[in-house]
Amino acid sequence: MRGQRDVTPAQVLLVDDSPGDIRLTREAFRDANSSLILSVATDGVEAMAFLRREGAHVAAPRPDFILLDLNLPRMDGREVLEQIKKDDALRTIPTVILTTSDSEVDILRSYELNANAYLKKPVTLEAFESLVRSINEFWLNKAMLPQPRQT
Amino acid sequence: MLSARKAEGRGEAEAKYRGLLEAAPDAMVVVNKAGEIVLLNVQAEKQFGYSRDALIGQKVTNIIPEGFAERLIADDLRTAADALAQQIGTGIELSGRRRDGTEFPIEIMLSPLDSAEGVLVTAAIRNISVRKAAEGHLAQMEGRYRGLLEAAPDAMVVVDQGGEIVLLNLQAEKQFGYSRDELIGQRVTNIIPEGFAERLIADGTRTAADALTQQIGTGIELVARRKDGTDFPIEIMLSPLDSADGVLVTAAIRDISVRKAAEEHLAQMEGRYRGLLEAAPDAMVVVNQSGEIVLLNLQAEKQFGYHRDELLGQQVTNIIPDGFAERLLADDLRSAEDALAQQIGTGIELVARRKDGTDFPIEIMLSPLDSAEGVLVTAAIRDISVRKAAEEHLGQKVEELKRSNEELGQFAYIASHDLQEPLRMVASYTQLLSKRYTGQLDADADEFIGFAVDGASRMQRLIDDLLAFSRVATSGNELADTSSEYALEQALQNLHWAIKDSGGLVTHDPLPAVQADEMQLVQLFQNLIGNAIKYQNPGIPQVHISAARRGKASWTFAVKDNGLGIDPQYFEKIFGMFQRLHKRDEYSGTGVGLAICRKIVERHGGALTVESALGKGSTFSFSLAGTEGSA
Repeated sequence: MRGQRDVTPAQVLLVDDSPGDIRLTREAFRDANSSLILSVATDGVEAMAFLRREGAHVAAPRPDFILLDLNLPRMDGREVLEQIKKDDALRTIPTVILTTSDSEVDILRSYELNANAYLKKPVTLEAFESLVRSINEFWLNKAMLPQPRQT
Repeated sequence: MLSARKAEGRGEAEAKYRGLLEAAPDAMVVVNKAGEIVLLNVQAEKQFGYSRDALIGQKVTNIIPEGFAERLIADDLRTAADALAQQIGTGIELSGRRRDGTEFPIEIMLSPLDSAEGVLVTAAIRNISVRKAAEGHLAQMEGRYRGLLEAAPDAMVVVDQGGEIVLLNLQAEKQFGYSRDELIGQRVTNIIPEGFAERLIADGTRTAADALTQQIGTGIELVARRKDGTDFPIEIMLSPLDSADGVLVTAAIRDISVRKAAEEHLAQMEGRYRGLLEAAPDAMVVVNQSGEIVLLNLQAEKQFGYHRDELLGQQVTNIIPDGFAERLLADDLRSAEDALAQQIGTGIELVARRKDGTDFPIEIMLSPLDSAEGVLVTAAIRDISVRKAAEEHLGQKVEELKRSNEELGQFAYIASHDLQEPLRMVASYTQLLSKRYTGQLDADADEFIGFAVDGASRMQRLIDDLLAFSRVATSGNELADTSSEYALEQALQNLHWAIKDSGGLVTHDPLPAVQADEMQLVQLFQNLIGNAIKYQNPGIPQVHISAARRGKASWTFAVKDNGLGIDPQYFEKIFGMFQRLHKRDEYSGTGVGLAICRKIVERHGGALTVESALGKGSTFSFSLAGTEGSA
């Protein structure tokens, strides 16, 4: 169980195929929380392999928090979300959608699939950095998260 | 001896005379000057019913009560030569009386007879009962015939073989304007100059049976002339009439002026109708109740590719296979008024077939036509191939336009949306560059990075506005009853800080409920009021929003400010996309606000207009439909 005074670095999985966004997110998290460990999967299939520690990801850490884009190659974010929330071992990991889409359909569908929040990527750097600071502050500092099951 | 001879000679003469007397076919009675019967024959005995002895020496008045005895003296004055000239048959008609008292008509011829006892009178007496009866019958017949003649509706003129009029009726007098006496004995050519007299011989050779088969109406049409010299058309029927004077010709003469005029009128009408039919721009086909074509015009020939003769009498289903023949009964049930109410353009669309088997679309208008053969149906047939093709073409174009419009809307949305992504990268990284490296490179680098950051963020605003603009059409809500006052309040709330910063004053009248997309109405107010506050001279902005009823179901809104005002030459330009009247360093903005406003108003079925002059402030007006209840 993670808490406000947990000293182990937070593990975050970012699922995004845009190198620009990946780097921006990394930069923003570095500013917000220098101890945070950010892992990246660039498509849905890789994300599930990482989470299930399959193949090259056999030693992958279990993330405390997932940031998931919707539009991804091979397996898109909606399917990844569905897989996570159907999986008993993974469903408790807070999974937040971070995407450019603000379509009502995407928002509704995401919450139906039990997304923990739906965030739109801000268009300015300042706003983006601010959002990442908020995410870190809320999900990784304030929010009480369940202890990962030992397998 | 001499006297004996004389007596003997006289006896012989008397015997001869008596023989002649008895042999006469008529009754013979010899009367002396005293009116006494001195001699008679057996016919006289028979006729009068007396024996000879009963009459000898009796007064002749016993058997001929009147007219005979009185003539004796008178006749005595006549010479024997005169009396001989008197012929039987031209004798005197008297009445005889039989012994039984009955009377009978007689004709007597008197002649003198010299005798020893003086001049005697010989009367040949013929019983003319039979002739009299025949004459009576004849007179009766003639009376009847005359009655018929006079009762005839036509003028009747009887002409002899010499071409002279021997009889005519009242109608003939009237028709020709002559009195009867002026025509009797005159040449028939006086009243019928040509064609009648010439026919007498020919007609004379026809048998009576042939003549009887000649009916009025199949008679001969000629021209008759009145006494006053005017001509008029007649129809005559001739028939032979046997008479004592030979074969006469009876002519029944009918004045056909009226019929001729009617026929001429009818021919004229028919000519006109045909003219109209041929002049009609459409194919015209007249069909009877059996579905047979009875009339058609040139256009019909052309349209269907048949010659007229090929179509007359044919079934209309040959040229209009479906939908027409089936309608004939239905149309028969409709009144003429109903049919007339049917206008071309509201006609029935069917498919017609040409002789070569090709089909083409038509529009037909049916109307009933009363005729001698019953109700016919006139069909005006218009080839609507061109119109159909045009309609189809138009439909296609509309569809294409709709699709292209949708595509354009989609394009604007997708383009602006997808452009956002790379732009976000450009903006974010130039900003990151600026943030991390400003002051670490040289002054030029700082300036360049500054332009890149500024350009990227301006482009982001443009794209945002473009998206907002395209969303007016693609993401609008249904129009519904909306409080425009509430929409205004929301707009003012959104503009709270801008208004506060400007120190401006926004006022409004009570505003009505309207048919609107509330979110768009908020945006409309917000853009207009935002502009009113933004484009200001140094001073306190004053903005007033009002609404006035326009017509029954509509409201005109006005947003009036005391700002810079707009040169009228820019009235149209300001509503265009990305159109700005000011430099960026004077007033910020992308020039999309009013374009969005106009698009919102147009989506609501209204028009956004401006009234303004430089330095005089501006008034933007738009109309919205009122709600059902407020109308």
